[in-house]
Amino acid sequence: MTEIVVTRPGEAKLNHLFKPGRVGKFEVKNRIKYGACCVSNYNGRDGSITPRELARVRVIAGTGCGLITNQGAYPDPWGEGKAYFRQVAIHDDKFLPQFEMIARYIHDAGAMAMQQILHAGRYGGIDLGYCIQPSVVPQTLPHFRPPREMTKEQIAVTVQQHADAARRAIRAGFDATEITSFMGYLLANFNSRFTNQRSDEYGGSVQNRGRFMRELIDAIKQATPDHPLSVRLNGAELMDKWGGNTQDESFELMQQAVDCGVDMISVTVGWQEAPESSFGRDVEPGYWNFLSEKAKRMFPNTLVAFGNRLPDPAMANQCVKDNIFDYWEICRPLLADPELIHKAAEDRMEEVRPCIGSLNCLSRLFRDLPYTCTMNPMLGHEVEPEYHVTEATEKKRVMVIGAGPAGMEAAITARRRGHTVTVFDKADKIGGNLAAYAANDLARPADLQGVIDYYGVMAKKLGVEVRLNTEANAKFMRSILHEYDACIVAAGARTDLESFKYMPGSETLIDALDVAHGRKTVGKRVVMIGGGMIGLTISEFLQKAGHEVTVIEKDKRVGGDIMPTFKWRHTAWVDELGIKTICSAQLLKVTAEGATVKTAKGEEILVPCDNVIVSSPRRANHDLFYEFQWMIDELHGGGDATVPRGLDAAIQEGYKLGVRI
Amino acid sequence: MKTAIDETEHLFGDMSLWQSMLDRQRELFIEMDSGSRLGFVSREASGILPGKHREGVQVVTEVPMMAWEIENGGMSVRIERFAGLAATRVDVLLVADREAMETMLAALGGDMLKTIKQLIRRGNIMFFLFKNKTQLQDAGYEDFLESLGLAFIGACR
Repeated sequence: MTEIVVTRPGEAKLNHLFKPGRVGKFEVKNRIKYGACCVSNYNGRDGSITPRELARVRVIAGTGCGLITNQGAYPDPWGEGKAYFRQVAIHDDKFLPQFEMIARYIHDAGAMAMQQILHAGRYGGIDLGYCIQPSVVPQTLPHFRPPREMTKEQIAVTVQQHADAARRAIRAGFDATEITSFMGYLLANFNSRFTNQRSDEYGGSVQNRGRFMRELIDAIKQATPDHPLSVRLNGAELMDKWGGNTQDESFELMQQAVDCGVDMISVTVGWQEAPESSFGRDVEPGYWNFLSEKAKRMFPNTLVAFGNRLPDPAMANQCVKDNIFDYWEICRPLLADPELIHKAAEDRMEEVRPCIGSLNCLSRLFRDLPYTCTMNPMLGHEVEPEYHVTEATEKKRVMVIGAGPAGMEAAITARRRGHTVTVFDKADKIGGNLAAYAANDLARPADLQGVIDYYGVMAKKLGVEVRLNTEANAKFMRSILHEYDACIVAAGARTDLESFKYMPGSETLIDALDVAHGRKTVGKRVVMIGGGMIGLTISEFLQKAGHEVTVIEKDKRVGGDIMPTFKWRHTAWVDELGIKTICSAQLLKVTAEGATVKTAKGEEILVPCDNVIVSSPRRANHDLFYEFQWMIDELHGGGDATVPRGLDAAIQEGYKLGVRI
Repeated sequence: MKTAIDETEHLFGDMSLWQSMLDRQRELFIEMDSGSRLGFVSREASGILPGKHREGVQVVTEVPMMAWEIENGGMSVRIERFAGLAATRVDVLLVADREAMETMLAALGGDMLKTIKQLIRRGNIMFFLFKNKTQLQDAGYEDFLESLGLAFIGACR
């Protein structure tokens, strides 16, 4: 084993994580495995690898991980294993040149290269009118295709295709391969009682259900005898209520894989259709570590990789030290910040763009779009020079109005290009309305506050001047006339109380932002106007704090503006907390007795309450555009100040302004 | 002599109460195409048990199914025969265990859809879809399925 040479301060602190390892005959520079957690959807419809993908992989190669798993490629020519519209394929030698380039990128970065083979089974056949499974178990998610039962001949062909795909990956220069059951793919379908009800030798007992996996392992091992094989297996399917495997059965299947001689078990959690979170923002980091710990205890002589909802290198370092796993398998936090490992090695963790677990990446994939990241506006645009931070030709003095995410992102990006940047905000701290949202968040306030902390650190480090308690208006602008060349208005959005101006009792309405920021308190019984992201977040917080909240929503359902992968969480909280909702309804008046609302049926209902809070509609703070347009050379706008949306749009637009101004 | 249908008519309770419940929720079904159909079967009667769906696919004994169908601009309810998943002409099938059946019957006068949503989350009701996303969207199902807490588009979480 190579002796560790500590050259960077973080490596000394995280010495277990940065300790070299070995997978088969291959030395690995540290204990970090880039997990093939997401398919990018950047590729050709025929499975060919595009320049966009290659540019992305170059970034992945440079993350500093010792072992890099390239995203899952489907192994069959018909696309039965294809889960995503633009997933890569590895069923033909014609794809080899691009795989060779990817293997080279990874090796050039000093990492071990692993290629994942992904046959999606129940979630496959995305271009076809069907998917294949061990048994016909109809879908529970409408995104997927109707099932067909695999014949024994199909099983044999599929096993051979996996072996051929592995051989092809090794020929392309990869060091190892991986097969995956992750989140309910074909391997999981055979392993699970939920989807495998065959009566032949591939179904029934755990031993029989694991036969397909054992045949895959045997075939790949025979095809590539000198190269390690990793298997991703559920420690928990979270499908127990529906007849899926118990945890004991899951570990029995792992035992079978170990007995077959796999080199690494990658422990995963949950199926796509599981009714509970496995890595969303509502799951505490480290929550699932017990599954990995159990695997390591059961299989001390087999490498174990794990990383579900474990975004923190310090936690991962401790886990390696405590023998909870051998390799930290990480992906999503590296989507948010590809420099994470380097920053950890240099003890600059405060500079990491945090992954907040918003699952924007997955929300996009299930709309058949390429994945992007809320926190990393570059993701997916690596191939486009326009998205790169380059030195500005003309250095400008830039003023940014608003220290929310859009303004701060624009400020630090512009500063990185050499502009002189000053941020103005009327509040006494940065963060804008995100700070208020974080304070009311039931999932994990620390995640969202981490975004604000990141901007604070980077502004200080880069030398962005931040002037707080400074309201930007026409008078102020006149006082600094000609001091700046460009102005970015990122003043966010406000609650549109004016739309209630002529309503009886309008003078008693309370702005949701005042409640969220802690500027106003409310009584026991509360009516919330608006059941969108802001209204629900504040309602959930109040209800949990002992208030009795009724949400009035004009649309047919609440949560209409919430990201799909998190909408279910809010609607579940509404139920669990007992928040009353009245949809397709509008506020008519407010009296001392309460709020009178009109339903879609025309009925007028009095909802007794002490206060009425308004969270919707929202209006962009456009006013400054009109006030400033004759006062500065360049005037730009971004984030909610142009159209009220969310954090994702704010950061993306802030960045785009920063790289272009 | 009672038939199997009669027995499960008793299991599903009074159809007029179900119809009243559906009429109260008519807003939810406005966008659904005529002929859109959902089925409810008993888990025990149908043989579609957790981890044993195959038996449900191959069921040989016909059992009663409560069918909801869009007709004349509204959702109608009636009892039909269920002859296994493969032969059943429904877009969505909900399979309720005994506890779910009892809970639903007790909730007939209240917010039934909320009750069904809770039962799905608790695992007392399993559901299966026989049309894909586009077909269900085109048929106007999105509002209804989301009201049941189903992840219509989002999946991994």
